[in-house]
Amino acid sequence: MKTEEESHVTAYRTYILVWVGLVILTGLTYTVAVGLQAEGWAVLVALAIAGTKSGLVLNYFMHLKSERLTIFKVIIPLVMAVFLVFILLTFSDLAFRGGAK
Amino acid sequence: MALTILRNSQEMSETKEFVFEETKDYTGAKLGMWLFILSELLLFGGMFILYSAYRYKSPADFHHASKELDVILGTINTIILLTSSLSVAVCISAIQKGQRKLSMYLLMVTMVLGLLFLVNKGFEWGTKIEHGIYPNSPVLLARTKGEILFFGLYYVMTGLHGLHVLVGVCVLFVMLILIAKDKINRMHFTPLENSGLYWHLVDIIWIFLYPLFYLIT
Amino acid sequence: MTSTGEAENIRPRINFYEERRGILSWILTLDHKRIGLLYLIFVIAFFFSGVVLGFFMRLEMIAPGGTIMGPQTYNALFTLHGIIMIFLVVIPAIVTVFGNFFLPIQIGARDVAFPRINLLSWWLFVTGAAIVTLSVFTGEGPPDTGWTFYAPYSLRTSVNVPMAVFGVFILGMSSILTGINLVTTTHRLRAPGMTWKRLPLFVWAIYSTSWVQILATPVIGITMVLIFLERFFGVGVFDPTKGGDPVLYQHMFWIYSHPATYIMILPAMGIVSDVVPVFARKKIFGYTAIALSGMAIAAVGSLVWGHHMFVSGQSDFADILFSLLTFLVAVPSAIKVFNWVATLHKGSIVIEPPLLFCLAFIFLFSIGGLTGLIQGALAPNMHLHDTYWIPGHFHYIIFGGMGFGLFAAFHYWFPKMFGRMYSRKVAKWAWLIMFIGFNIFYFSMLLLGWEGMPRRYYDYLPQFRSLHLTATYGSWILIVGLILMFGNFFRGLFRGEKAEDNPWNGVSLEWQIPSPPPTENFEQIPVIQHGPYDFKELTRNE
Repeated sequence: MKTEEESHVTAYRTYILVWVGLVILTGLTYTVAVGLQAEGWAVLVALAIAGTKSGLVLNYFMHLKSERLTIFKVIIPLVMAVFLVFILLTFSDLAFRGGAK
Repeated sequence: MALTILRNSQEMSETKEFVFEETKDYTGAKLGMWLFILSELLLFGGMFILYSAYRYKSPADFHHASKELDVILGTINTIILLTSSLSVAVCISAIQKGQRKLSMYLLMVTMVLGLLFLVNKGFEWGTKIEHGIYPNSPVLLARTKGEILFFGLYYVMTGLHGLHVLVGVCVLFVMLILIAKDKINRMHFTPLENSGLYWHLVDIIWIFLYPLFYLIT
Repeated sequence: MTSTGEAENIRPRINFYEERRGILSWILTLDHKRIGLLYLIFVIAFFFSGVVLGFFMRLEMIAPGGTIMGPQTYNALFTLHGIIMIFLVVIPAIVTVFGNFFLPIQIGARDVAFPRINLLSWWLFVTGAAIVTLSVFTGEGPPDTGWTFYAPYSLRTSVNVPMAVFGVFILGMSSILTGINLVTTTHRLRAPGMTWKRLPLFVWAIYSTSWVQILATPVIGITMVLIFLERFFGVGVFDPTKGGDPVLYQHMFWIYSHPATYIMILPAMGIVSDVVPVFARKKIFGYTAIALSGMAIAAVGSLVWGHHMFVSGQSDFADILFSLLTFLVAVPSAIKVFNWVATLHKGSIVIEPPLLFCLAFIFLFSIGGLTGLIQGALAPNMHLHDTYWIPGHFHYIIFGGMGFGLFAAFHYWFPKMFGRMYSRKVAKWAWLIMFIGFNIFYFSMLLLGWEGMPRRYYDYLPQFRSLHLTATYGSWILIVGLILMFGNFFRGLFRGEKAEDNPWNGVSLEWQIPSPPPTENFEQIPVIQHGPYDFKELTRNE
């Protein structure tokens, strides 16, 4: 059993670099939103950037990257899969209604 | 949330008394917190499903309504939360290194940023309400269905999120007290780490709320 | 001693009841066994109220037209019957009573991972239950929407919907915390040598269930909050006059409520998987298949919710997709049924009450499952939806399945929990009476639905009269059986003979400790050397 003393200590520098990345990505998503006109593309790009930012927060700020046990590696993909399934199946209804939406 | 493993005493006496000695399972406590985070993600996930459904139905209305939100304020709030995540993360590294004063200072910074976020949100909501835009208002009901839904979702989702920020600030405050009392230190900081995880969750939710409400093109 | 492979353990002289006394030591306890019993008290109390509500419903329906009540009352009765049975009995019962009591023991632990959260879960359960109960007696009266609270009616009806949905929300929080606790416990507190493949199948079942609790419950949580907000603030999310889509409400509701049916059934299946080998004196057939099929049911079962909505106005494409997925989810359930039967085959069968209830489970659950396939097909569903076929189907599954599984658990673990034995003879008679009454009652419902009798209807055409009469008579026989069964338990509790530690000769860890168990379950944490169905081990030492 791992004690708290044995757990991984992340360097301050790493955190700051991640933060810089997050700020840059925020700026990026803002610029892209203002610049891109096509509705379909824009939402996908925005979600991709948000996903990347979340990935940085999850892996570095929340230390998922340094977790070794399988269960920790599985839970975020699991919740993403569950959410995806819920939303896709709901859209199997919404997107195929036919007639007035 | 410390895991307690109970052990009985070594004594064999007439009336057997069980003496509980606490051994803490750090990984177990962390796992518990992560599972709670999963449930929170799906709580908001449910709302994101509704958002997607209605945006799909009325994209133009959503675009139109979104323009009424203050993008600058929204972006500032995003930076505020991201920075607060930085401060709480460094705070935990600091306590691991035994740098107690630094960690307390950073915890206070995090809390202040969180409160600042809420103050901004208060202003945003305030301006909207002043303009007569709030659930069930005559002004709102006179608009298109898509816009009514946009603002309904806006208030509920940012409101629920704001509630989580408030709870987070309170939890961090408790952690601050515990560090001050040396109940949290480099040997035992699981509650602080778990509080940090909760705070990052709140940040992640906003990372998605921001583009979906403020940046609809 | 088999599982520890060590010298005889010195038995402690006190059990977990004697450890500390007084009501505060119970309602503020951190002992998982006491918490399990605290849940039991409430689950039984609410089960009785649900049965009473059902009794009056059947009394009303014994003849067409008004019999003993008006239509508004009837609507309230079936709503309350549903809310109470589903949220306060069937969803929590096995997990919170037996999961709490036995999962830690079966994995060789002293308690759950988070004992204080466990206590909080119970308090949240009690609070939610109180709020739901209060909704009956306050405001303009109990909800009349059905337990499903469909929008837009639930947004407009003047009765006490907000309080009821708020109560459900609190109950959901309780369920999520229990799920978190039991998953963490299973991962972190297994005794040395207790590998995943040596876990009793009951543990696997609770583990799968707990994942569903964590992942699905939040969706109904937010949906209940939205109903609440709509009623007080007019948000518009489900209100058609504001652009909301009532079908979207149904999606959100059933995204949880279908997986909830697996929260109900998986633990009961876990009981059957544990009990059948003991009374067949034979290792379970296909351990891995049963363990993994539970996980598969949890997974695939989260993909089928639209089968509650075939006639709601959702797209044809969704109809077809959900129907296909519904057929798929029958597969892992069928795997379990085959494996249980294969376990019994050439086993050394011991006819005792726990086994009888499990055999009834297998039979009744199979009927429920097969009727589910019929209504899962689109064409029949057009005719069967919202008829009596549906409650016929789900009572076979929930009552015949989960209910009988719950009763099997009571009969199996009663001696362990209370250190006393009930009358096995009375138990067998109660079982027989219940089985007969159950089938007369609910098979009549299937027939009524097939003939076109709508559900949730207060009145009906004369052509349905005889089947309704039969159903009501069946319900009375069933209730007699229930009274006999519970009477037997209460008598056993106070005047039953002392039970041995291992009356059924089981191999899983709970049977290696005293009845009732001591406070921390084990003198010393055992080292596990074999699986929980290794009966050869037992016979070698006999």
